[in-house]
Amino acid sequence: MTKLVQTLVDGLGVGSTYALLALGISLIFGVMHLVNFAHGELITVGAYVSYFFFLNGGSWWWMPVAIIASAALASVATEAVAFRWVRQASPFTMLLTSFAIERLSHALWQIFVSPKQRAFPKPAWVFDQFGLGGVSIEVMDVVTIGVTAATLAVTALVFSRTLFGISVRGAAEDFDAARLMGIRANRVISGAFAFAGLLAGVAACLILMRNPSAEPAMGADWLLKAVVAAVIGGLGSFTGAVVGGLALGLLETLTRAYLPDIATGWDRFSTAIVYIAIAAFFIIRPQGAFKVASAERV
Amino acid sequence: MEPLVRRLGRSTAASSILLAVVFALSLAYTSTGGGARQYLVAEMLTNFILALGMQVFIGNTGVLSFGHMAFAQIASYATALVVIPVAAKATSLPDIPFGLGEVEVGPVTATLVALAVTIAIGAAFGVAVCRASGLAPTMITLAALFVVDQVVKNWEELTRGAGGLTGVPILGGNGVLWLGAFIALVVAHQFQESRIGRFAAATRDDELAAPALGISLFTSRYAAWMVSIGLIALGGALRAQSLGTVNPKQFTLDAGILVLAMVVVGGMRTVSGTVLGTIVITVGNEVFRQLGDPQRLGIERFPDLFLGGVMLAVMLARPGGILGDLDVAAVLRRRMRWRADSSPDRAGSTTADEAVLSADGVIVRFGGFTALDGARIAVRPGEVVGLIGPNGAGKTTLFNVITGLVEETDGRVQLGDVDLSDASPVAVARAGLGRTFQNLRLFANLSVRDNVAVTAMVAARHRPQRPTPDPDELLEAVGLADRADRRADALDYGSQRRLELARAAALAPLYLLLDEPTSGMSDAESLEMVTAVRSIAQRVGAGVLVIDHDLGFITTISDHIVVLNEGRVLAEGTPDAVRADPAVAAAYLGSRG
Repeated sequence: MTKLVQTLVDGLGVGSTYALLALGISLIFGVMHLVNFAHGELITVGAYVSYFFFLNGGSWWWMPVAIIASAALASVATEAVAFRWVRQASPFTMLLTSFAIERLSHALWQIFVSPKQRAFPKPAWVFDQFGLGGVSIEVMDVVTIGVTAATLAVTALVFSRTLFGISVRGAAEDFDAARLMGIRANRVISGAFAFAGLLAGVAACLILMRNPSAEPAMGADWLLKAVVAAVIGGLGSFTGAVVGGLALGLLETLTRAYLPDIATGWDRFSTAIVYIAIAAFFIIRPQGAFKVASAERV
Repeated sequence: MEPLVRRLGRSTAASSILLAVVFALSLAYTSTGGGARQYLVAEMLTNFILALGMQVFIGNTGVLSFGHMAFAQIASYATALVVIPVAAKATSLPDIPFGLGEVEVGPVTATLVALAVTIAIGAAFGVAVCRASGLAPTMITLAALFVVDQVVKNWEELTRGAGGLTGVPILGGNGVLWLGAFIALVVAHQFQESRIGRFAAATRDDELAAPALGISLFTSRYAAWMVSIGLIALGGALRAQSLGTVNPKQFTLDAGILVLAMVVVGGMRTVSGTVLGTIVITVGNEVFRQLGDPQRLGIERFPDLFLGGVMLAVMLARPGGILGDLDVAAVLRRRMRWRADSSPDRAGSTTADEAVLSADGVIVRFGGFTALDGARIAVRPGEVVGLIGPNGAGKTTLFNVITGLVEETDGRVQLGDVDLSDASPVAVARAGLGRTFQNLRLFANLSVRDNVAVTAMVAARHRPQRPTPDPDELLEAVGLADRADRRADALDYGSQRRLELARAAALAPLYLLLDEPTSGMSDAESLEMVTAVRSIAQRVGAGVLVIDHDLGFITTISDHIVVLNEGRVLAEGTPDAVRADPAVAAAYLGSRG
C-alpha cells in the first residue's frame, strides 16, 4: 500500500511535468498544425538562464520568474524567426523546421557555452520529506503537483473566459472562419506560442528544481515524452494533453515499480514494454484518446 | 501501362547516370588524399542505401517515419550474430541463445539472413503503420525505435548491451558497397516507376482524393513500406560488414534524423534529390565533425550546427528540397515518351451499361443537425442530372454519401444491382463512380498528365470491363494537352477545374459526379465547361450528376434537374419545368433575385 501510494505520487509528479509540456505542444498544433519538436528547447533556455543568473548571485526566490519569462520569450522568438514563414507549408515541412531549430539550439549552446553539463545550486528544501499516514512524501512532489494543478486551473480559466483564450480555441477549430470573425492570425499564433512558452517555463522550473543543471541536449528526452503524451491525448485537445501526460507518467512509474513482481527478469525491459503499450494504443486508437473535430471540408 | 522491360531499362539508365557522377566525385576525392579517404566513401555508400530505403517510404507516401533505423539495427545485429566466427562468440557471447553460438556463415548468407529476418519483422509491423492515419504512423514508428533500442541495450546475452558487437568480418574494399548502392538506386527508381509507386505518390499528395479515385491507401503504403524495409535491411547488413562493429549508438533517433535530412534536403520526392542530399549531408557532417574534433574546437556535436542550418535553410527557402522535382529519371521519361498503341480492346465500344445510379431515403445527421432528411436521386446511363439548391441544402453531403466519404444514418445507395450503401470510397470508385471536389483536390506535385494517367492505371486494373481512357486524349478534350508536363498546381484555376474533370473521367466511370465544376469561373469559362463536360462524358460513356450554383450552366447542361432544400427533394423535372416551379422560385431563385 505504501509502495502504491509512493508510486502514484511519483507518477503524478513526472506526469504533470509531461502534461504541462504536452499542453503547449497541443496548443501550438491546434492553431497551426505544427508538431513542435523545438518545444523541449525552452527547458534548455530556462536552464541556461538560471545558470547565468546563479553565476551572478541568483536566488530561487525569483528564479522561476526569470525561467518562465525567458521560455515564453524564446517561444515567441522561434515563431517570429522561423515558423511564421512556413505557416502555409505542409505539416511535414513545419515539423522538419522545428527539428532544424532543435538541432541548431543544441549546437549553439555547445558553441557559446560548453558541451559539458553546468550545474547550479538547488533550492534547499527540494529533497525534504514529511510523513503522512506512514507514507513519506517529498516536498518537491507536493510542489510539483500543486504548481501543476494551479497552472492548469489558470489555463482553463484563460481558455474559457478571456478573449485571447476564446480566439485561440476558435482558431484551433477553424482558422479561416476565425480570421473572418476579425481575429488576427499573427496575434493569435504569437499568443499561443507565448502561452505554450509560459507552460514550458513552469515545467522547466519543476525540472530544474529537482535537477539544477544545464546541458545542451537536455530538452530532447522531455520533448519526446511530451509529444507522445500530446498525441496519446489527441493533438489539439487540451484535456487530452493533460490526461495523456498524467497517463504516461503513471504508466512509466507503475511498470518500473511493479513489473519485477509480475515477471522476474523482465524488469530490464520495462521501458521497452511502456513503448510497446504506447504503440499498441496508437494501433487501436490512431486519433488519440480525445478525438478533435477538424474543420476540413470536402 | 508501359511495359516492365522499358521501365526497368529506364531505372537502370537513371541509376547508372547518378552512380557514374558519384563515382567520378569519389574518384576525384580519393585520388587526391590518403587511403583513409576510402572510409568516407564507404560511409557515403551505406548512407545511400539507407537514405534511398527511407525515401521509398517517406518520399513516396509522405508519411514520416522515425522507425526506419530500428530495422537497420535489426539487420545489422542479425548479420553480426551469424557472421561472427564461432570461436569469437564463445568468448564474447558465452550465453548466446537460440544455438547461435554454433552458427557461422559467409557474408552473402549472412546478408540474406538479415534481409529475411528484418523483412519478416517489418512485414508484421508495417500492417500497424500503414493502417493508421494522421500522426499515428509516425508515433508507432517512434515507439518501435525505442522498443528495439531498449531490447538491444538490455538483452545482453544476445547483444552485449550498450557495448555492442565487434569482430564482424570486414568486407575487402568498397566493391560490394558500390553494388549495394546500385541495387538500391535501381529498386528506388523502379518503385517510383511502378503502378503502385505512382499510386503511393497520389496518396501523398491528397489522402482524400486518392481513395475517391480507387487508390487504396493501405495497399500503396504497405508496398512502399516493404520495399523500403528491404533496402534499409540491405543497408544495415552491409554497414555492419563495412565497419566491423555494431552498437546501439549507430541507430539512435539522432542517427535516424541524419538520414532523414539526407532524404529531405536534396528533395524527398525524387531519387536524384535523395542522392544529392546524401552527398551534401555526408560530406558536410564529416567536415563539421572534423572541425569539432577535440584537437580543434572540441565541440562534439558541432555537426548539429551544420545539420540544423542546412535543414532550416532548405525548409524556409525550398521546402521541396534543393532539387525539388528535378530528377534524372523524369528527364529520361520525358525523352522516351511512350504511348500505348490503340489495341482493339481499347477501341472496343463503350457497352451500353444499364446500371442506374440511385440514392433513396438518405438521412444524415451530424450531431443534432439533420443535413439530409430522406433525399433521393436517380441518374440513368448517359443522362446529365443537375443537383441544385440553396447553400446548406445538403448537395455535397449527398455526394459524399454516394461516394462513401460520409456514412449515412439511413438510406440506400445503389448502382444497378450493386448496393453501395456501406461501400468504402475506394470500392465506390472501383465500382464506377468518378468524382471531383468542391475545393479542388488535385495531386499537386504530380504533372498534369500524371494526374490523369494515375487514374487511368486504376481503370486499367480495376475496371477491365470498360476500355481504359487514353490520358492524352482526355487532356486534349479539356484543352490541356499543351500543358501536360507542368506541375498540376502550376495551372490557373479554371484549368485546374478542367484537369480534375479529366482525372475523374480517366477512371472510365459509369457516372461522373461533379461538385461545382464552374465555381469561381467567369461566364465564358462556364460555357467552355459545358462543352468540356459533354465531350468528356460522351468520350468515356458516362452519365453525369452535377452540383452547381450557376443556373445558366446547370440549365444548359442538364437533361433533368433535382432541387434540394433542407435535406429533402423540393422539386424535380426538366430545366424548364423546374424554372417555372413557384416553390423553387420561393426557396431558391427568389432568394437570388
